[in-house]
Amino acid sequence: MDANAAYGRALARAFGGALLFSFPLLMTMEMWSLGMAVERWRLLAFLLLSLPMLLGLSYYAGFEPTFRLKDEVLDALAAFGVGFLLAALLLAVFGVFERPGPFWRADLGKIALCAVPGAIGALVAGKQLGEDAPSSRERSEAGTLGELFLMAVGALFLAFNVAPTEEMILIAYQMGPLQALLLMALSVLLLHAFVYRLGFPGESRRRAARGPLRTFVGFTAPGYGVALIVSLYLLWTFGRTDGVAPHEIATMTIVLAFPAALGAATARLVV
Amino acid sequence: MATTPKTRPPAKRKPSAAGRASRDEPPLLEWISAAIGLACALVAIGFVGWDALLGERSPPAVEVRLMAVTPTPHGFVAEVEAINHGGSPAAQVAIEGVLSGEGEPETAQATLDYIPERSRAKGGLVFEHDPRAGRLVLRAKGFADVS
Repeated sequence: MDANAAYGRALARAFGGALLFSFPLLMTMEMWSLGMAVERWRLLAFLLLSLPMLLGLSYYAGFEPTFRLKDEVLDALAAFGVGFLLAALLLAVFGVFERPGPFWRADLGKIALCAVPGAIGALVAGKQLGEDAPSSRERSEAGTLGELFLMAVGALFLAFNVAPTEEMILIAYQMGPLQALLLMALSVLLLHAFVYRLGFPGESRRRAARGPLRTFVGFTAPGYGVALIVSLYLLWTFGRTDGVAPHEIATMTIVLAFPAALGAATARLVV
Repeated sequence: MATTPKTRPPAKRKPSAAGRASRDEPPLLEWISAAIGLACALVAIGFVGWDALLGERSPPAVEVRLMAVTPTPHGFVAEVEAINHGGSPAAQVAIEGVLSGEGEPETAQATLDYIPERSRAKGGLVFEHDPRAGRLVLRAKGFADVS
């Protein structure tokens, strides 16, 4: 019974985290229209990709201090359920669903799209709102691939909050090529500074021990690459790239890569 | 809460887990919540996949129906319902009602933000004359793709 009670507390924390992290999206109009507008194959790919991502995230920041594969799978599934149920409940409360008529694919699309950030929040909450600090052993175990994975999740997470909005496209239209390059430079600079220079908790000391150039080549550059890829993927998933000129896609990607880079930089902070 | 401290037999623990602190079997609640999560994931993936494979992709086909007419001091309010019979959602659906009776025909229009496929949305058209007295033609004039 004790174990169940402890798990119940962890589950409640997970709901809290999912709420905290996904309510901005649940209260964003574009998420509702995207839920019905996103091409179904892309939505399916997004959902299928999200499960292994949750699994990996559960390994690094699960809401149970687990190490075994079975537990990771259970945690990842539970997190998805938390995100899904929370999205369904809140969207219903917000009156987003069509009032008459049956529950159908537009509604399910909205829930499915919002479930993923909620699930990330649920997993992250285990660490953020948890009583026990995460073991430092787990963190130092993250190799280069693990670091990149965490950066990708951080980038996805922060970029997801703004990716569905019209403003991303609008900003891309407003910016000239010079401004785009400037924003790119700014993103890289911030990414570098955030992770390795400002001394946030989660900054890896062993990286600071290396030379700044090696750090840049080894972590900042791949980090920004990850941010760009995640941004392009999100824009493609949301159908923002369809029928758009290549240079405009590039600008949009750079715009979205700005929050994505910040997310990648602070991944260690959040995740 | 901790009145019955459980003494777990050490034999159940797996020492093989590379020296890591391995827990006992996951509690029942963990299995239940994971099962619910699995069900949610299967519903989401199943429905979206089924829709992607077999879903209809016909263009929006919007029918506009008159629901009720209410005389108000500011004109006759005709409440209408637009039903999208097509297989794709439509955005910014412009609906128009032309009321022809004696004299000039009267036109009223409204824009509905979104009508998902096989769903309905409601709106209102306002006329100066009573739509019930003349001949009212309702139709959707156009729409934008949802994005």
